[in-house]
Amino acid sequence: MHRGKGMKFVGDSRVPASHRKPNIPKDYSEYPGKTEAFYPDFLLKEWIVGAVFLIGFLCLTIVEPAPLERIADPTDTTYIPLPDWYFMFLYQLLKYSYASGDYNFLGAFVIPGLAFTALLLAPFLDRGPKRRPKDRPIATGFMLLAVAAIFYLTWEAISTHDWEAAKRQGEIKEIVEVDKSHPGYEVYQQQTCISCHGGNLEGVGTNPALTGIDRTADEIKDIAVNGIGSMPANIFNGTEEELEQLAEFILSVNESE
Amino acid sequence: MIIASIDYFDYDENVLLTKTGGIGLEKQDKQQVTRRQFLVYTLMGVGGFMLSSITLPNLRFAADPVLQPKEGSDLINTNLKVDELTNEPKKVEFSFKQKDGWYEKETTQFAWVYKDENGEIIAHSPVCKHLGCNVEWNSSENHPNMYFCPCHKGLYYKDGENVPNTPPRAPLDRYDYEIRDGYLYLSTRAKEVKG
Amino acid sequence: MLTKLYDWIDERLDITPLWRDIADHEVPEHVNPAHHFSAFVYCFGGLTFFVVVIQILSGMFLMMYYVPDVERAWESVYYLQNQVAYGQIVRGMHHWGASIVIVMMFLHTLRVFFQGAYKKPRELNWIVGVLIFFVMLGLGLTGYLLPWDMKAVFATKVTLEIAQSTPLIGDLLKTLLAGDEHIIGAQTLTRFFAIHVFFLPAALLVLIGLHFLMIRKQGISGPL
Repeated sequence: MHRGKGMKFVGDSRVPASHRKPNIPKDYSEYPGKTEAFYPDFLLKEWIVGAVFLIGFLCLTIVEPAPLERIADPTDTTYIPLPDWYFMFLYQLLKYSYASGDYNFLGAFVIPGLAFTALLLAPFLDRGPKRRPKDRPIATGFMLLAVAAIFYLTWEAISTHDWEAAKRQGEIKEIVEVDKSHPGYEVYQQQTCISCHGGNLEGVGTNPALTGIDRTADEIKDIAVNGIGSMPANIFNGTEEELEQLAEFILSVNESE
Repeated sequence: MIIASIDYFDYDENVLLTKTGGIGLEKQDKQQVTRRQFLVYTLMGVGGFMLSSITLPNLRFAADPVLQPKEGSDLINTNLKVDELTNEPKKVEFSFKQKDGWYEKETTQFAWVYKDENGEIIAHSPVCKHLGCNVEWNSSENHPNMYFCPCHKGLYYKDGENVPNTPPRAPLDRYDYEIRDGYLYLSTRAKEVKG
Repeated sequence: MLTKLYDWIDERLDITPLWRDIADHEVPEHVNPAHHFSAFVYCFGGLTFFVVVIQILSGMFLMMYYVPDVERAWESVYYLQNQVAYGQIVRGMHHWGASIVIVMMFLHTLRVFFQGAYKKPRELNWIVGVLIFFVMLGLGLTGYLLPWDMKAVFATKVTLEIAQSTPLIGDLLKTLLAGDEHIIGAQTLTRFFAIHVFFLPAALLVLIGLHFLMIRKQGISGPL
């Protein structure tokens, strides 16, 4: 390349008049086997893999809508939080007694810190010239251990989480304005149903909503008196007439939907 | 070897190559700043000025929440008569207006309130000292008469003391309280209990 | 016509060598899945980049509807997912892409690790790669809050508590991240939004640029 004072320019610009780089592909013969040009030969293969991947990915977005829970209510006292799945192993780690409590520093900082620093500095910790996994058992062993730990902790977090409750807790609830002048609503308040099932029958925390249920009046009465699931018996202790009004009220809300 | 008519410095050696020819003529005094060094230092100085003038206001801007004066705690009426309190911790809700940036929002908090043996009122914050979930009184069948945190199974005794060998590291915070006209007033912010 | 246009530009800017260097470089057989099926392990890095491109694109389009404000964030997400045509797909791409990219990156990391491909002279590229991993986790963490639904806020609460339990600077760190000493609210959301949309992507693009530059400079590691 011509440099310095003798360089020729096109007019007054800084564009050199000639000296184009020749387009000669580089020679890569150090590796065995057949090589091929990146474009278009190899890129086509990569794009085929990409296209197959994309089909699967798009199917996923169509089949499984991205989840959205109800709008955040930071005052909700019963919600059990869960991080995104790829943080679950760290979250689970904090459940163990030697990684929490007085040892919180160990679980929240020392263990993950050591693991991630080791990952970052792996080339300087594993310095030998050998590359095959079985020729460097320490590096391979630690990595296998770490991967196993991540899988185990994630699995533990998933299996100990109450997914049913989580689903109920996060559900987007349609708030139906109920008829509060209904005589049954007074019974609903008096018999403390309201504290668990909410002012609009929307359910509180993990307690279910009373809207959109498919039960007869007799069934509702039976549940009010004898309980169901985690709802204890004898919460209702009013008269037979009040029970009738209560059932009628709950049914009326469900019918008007 | 003679280099004629070249005027440049060998920067590493700080050696002047003069037009009169010859290399390594005179080692200059190390203290003396060459023209080139002077230009580089000035360039760095101006660059540093520009960079800091741009970033410092931004950094102060970003760090503002940290440097805000700490807000005091107000006492809020819970509309609960003190006579209604018993030995059993009771969930007491109270609402107040809270400033959240450019919003002022009605916020509801709650406390676990009971009277201890001496008739003293204790108002625990429900916020678990482990990772900030809410504890419930007596909600775990295996651990009756304790505060239980569902997130990592943290436990506290009735007096708020954390049960050893469970995740929490400190006793539950306590709200300040006051009794006015027989009603219980609680502070908006709970205080740490020195364990 | 196109050829003439290209020649016109090339005459002035000499762009041919720029792309020729990328286009003509030879790809060795041991990474080519057409020759050895097991070479599919070399695809994870490329797929990671592919998903990153999807993330950037879908993210830009999501911002046409999304409002980063506590009062409106959830409503806007609900609206763009349920009312806007193809909202489910666009948000789905961004949501599921965030998970897939972690999986792909994990597999790519394992491939490089178990092949010992990070050894001299590629140490620096490994470090840049791990930094990309951290930035991705940061993107996942901050993006999780943005829909402002129940799981978002409570997961963030836990994260901030962990930050707060840092010795010495814990309280400071938490306030700096959350924008308020006690509240996870308006200022937390805008901060996470800024970090998610501008700060971390900027860092990510620089790091990815370095990653690719180093790969071109050093070439791919040889067969085991």
